[in-house]
Amino acid sequence: MSRSTRNTRRSFLRKAASASAAGAFLFDIVPARALGLQGETPPSDTLNFGHIGIGGRGRGFLRLESNLGKQVPASSNLGGDGSRKLRAARSIALCDVDTGRLDKAASVVGGKPRLYKDFRRLLEDKDVDAVYIASPDHWHALHTIRSCEAGKDVYCEKPACNTIEEGRAMVDAAERYGRVVQIGSQGRSQQSAWEANNYIKAGRIGRVRKVLCWHYASPEGDWTPDAPPPPELDYEMWLGPARHIPYNPRRTHGAFRWMIDFGGGQIRDRGAHVMSIANWIMDADAGGPVSIEAKGEPPHDGMYDSAVTMEVTYQFRNPDWTLVWAQPGVPSATLDARYGAVYWGDSGNLTVTLGDGAGTSTDQKVKDFAASCDCGKAFRSPGHSENFEDCIRTREKPIMHMEAAHRVSTLCVLGNVAFQLQRKLEWDPVSESVKDDAEANRMLSRPGRGPWHL
Amino acid sequence: MQQAMNILTNLSSSNADVRFAAWRAAGDLHPDQIAEVGKLAASTNPGIAKAAKEALTTLTHSVGKDPANPKRAGVVNGLLGLVASGAADVKVHAMRLLSHIAGEDSVPAIAKYLADAALREEAIYCLERIPGEGSIKAVMSAYAGAPDDFKPRLLAALGHRRSAAAKALCAEAMRSTNAAIAAAGAKAAARIGKAPTPQFPQGPERADAVIRFAECQAREGNPAEASRLFKSLLDDPAAHVQCAAVIGLSKLRTADAAVAILPKTKSTDRTVRITARNAWKSMT
Repeated sequence: MSRSTRNTRRSFLRKAASASAAGAFLFDIVPARALGLQGETPPSDTLNFGHIGIGGRGRGFLRLESNLGKQVPASSNLGGDGSRKLRAARSIALCDVDTGRLDKAASVVGGKPRLYKDFRRLLEDKDVDAVYIASPDHWHALHTIRSCEAGKDVYCEKPACNTIEEGRAMVDAAERYGRVVQIGSQGRSQQSAWEANNYIKAGRIGRVRKVLCWHYASPEGDWTPDAPPPPELDYEMWLGPARHIPYNPRRTHGAFRWMIDFGGGQIRDRGAHVMSIANWIMDADAGGPVSIEAKGEPPHDGMYDSAVTMEVTYQFRNPDWTLVWAQPGVPSATLDARYGAVYWGDSGNLTVTLGDGAGTSTDQKVKDFAASCDCGKAFRSPGHSENFEDCIRTREKPIMHMEAAHRVSTLCVLGNVAFQLQRKLEWDPVSESVKDDAEANRMLSRPGRGPWHL
Repeated sequence: MQQAMNILTNLSSSNADVRFAAWRAAGDLHPDQIAEVGKLAASTNPGIAKAAKEALTTLTHSVGKDPANPKRAGVVNGLLGLVASGAADVKVHAMRLLSHIAGEDSVPAIAKYLADAALREEAIYCLERIPGEGSIKAVMSAYAGAPDDFKPRLLAALGHRRSAAAKALCAEAMRSTNAAIAAAGAKAAARIGKAPTPQFPQGPERADAVIRFAECQAREGNPAEASRLFKSLLDDPAAHVQCAAVIGLSKLRTADAAVAILPKTKSTDRTVRITARNAWKSMT
């Protein structure tokens, strides 16, 4: 169904509803569901989604045809406790460079979704209102920017981008076209993170001086021989803007994140969660650190090149505080979790574990405080996808809007740059450049390949 | 010197930890040793090849911070030597490292690979990263003789560098009968954004080109032209293009822009209407 057709129906229904007194006969032939009565969602208010990248993560965003018209529960992995309801939506278009994944997703969705191997064709589909992007990290920027240019609102998985230049271009694209862009650092939509934010902002641990993140180390990797790409995978399209290297199954689906060119290691994969909460709580969504220092080790052998162990120290000014990303670091003394952060204030400390989906937790004292005090100040997201879909209608900025996501990605990217260069970086968060370091500044961008450019 | 020799020896150790220690210390290598490291980088033993490539990377980083580092020229020359005579993947690695540290003095040596089908992508990647007019002139010089399938890539580099010198070349590209070249020319011209406003070709990318060009005009102190361009898109059939025009106008913060936006606050399209109302509020 074309957009113009849909609009015509919307228009028709609006007129019909307003003329109900004169035209009661209409209700004899139009079901209540179609008019949004009796709690039903009218078809004209159903969002039509396209999906770019439908591997393991991407399939989590699909809206099953069998749920059409129902208020389906939000996945707990998308924020919240799973009890909230997502708005009515359809997955009408699916895109993946791997036809095996495409076919699998199509069978999961049901109905007759339109299938694309090339995301540009999906973006030409006028019926698609918004897109969920769960492609590999090195595609996030181009997929998001081209989606904005095509008039689509965007939910893109974290980390937002692979370079500082990409992140800024994504911010510009969202702003240029007035698009809603939500990045998938779902922790901000988690109740525990929200409560912790309010607790700290209420001054319960005093002024926060230090935030110490911990995370387990990255895999060392091994040597797996390169091979011809499988026939179902368009490997050239999978590479897209990234440098050409031979296909290797241990560098593509799922494992791409251990390569700096495609992913960037734990600091970018999970740092985009844990440090997103830190930036949110510390009100650092529009700024950044003034220095970054990194130590640690990459794999001694094997084909991966992102850090196995690393400790990155970020200094912030005005207000002064220190953020440390450590893999492995010192886990919380109060809560057991594979990763998270401890916030150290003048008069106490507080743990927020994970910071992504289900399992994000905080100390009991926060829960007690939240129960006894009406002091919530931070915006309370109803769930990450729900918040995104609300914003599609209101045109407000979602909780993990592009500027905030870019600033979190900046931490991740600069951590890796400092790690690669093995020297301290002096960062200007306003001009987004490194002071007195010509090479580091060149590493803030990465030219594209073939036809793929910002 | 003994330390440097030890590094070279240890890079080919059978012990991965010894190799690792060697590559981490490779900033102490002498540039004259790059050729030897390059041979190790072509080893059929992947662990040794990795260690050698990482050693080249470490050496490059050791001279990268300050372009005036006295050792930099030697490292650049050593890497250029690898590009000229190394194994295929070593050439690529060396070219990537050159993109970190090569200066204008190396542009001619790198630009000649724009004509090498196997290395042209790496050469343009490298030139795109080298600051200064020299790299831009080299790309422009290569354009006329480049095969059609590579011209869009050259234009993308020129657009990324936002060089006024490339304006005429982009205008010429926009007139090409080859659709890919014409589109790439428009994209580059829009990003360069230097007056006078070119005649952007019709096509799916035209609106974005006009919007980006208008943004450049606003930044360069030509709000009248920016306003004219944004207004030309206010009635575009696509709602998001209307939104972009409204947003662009609102940033000009002129009375003329406000007048143009006002009717859009009553648009029948909900997104356009909300965008226009928000834009209006931001101006008042």
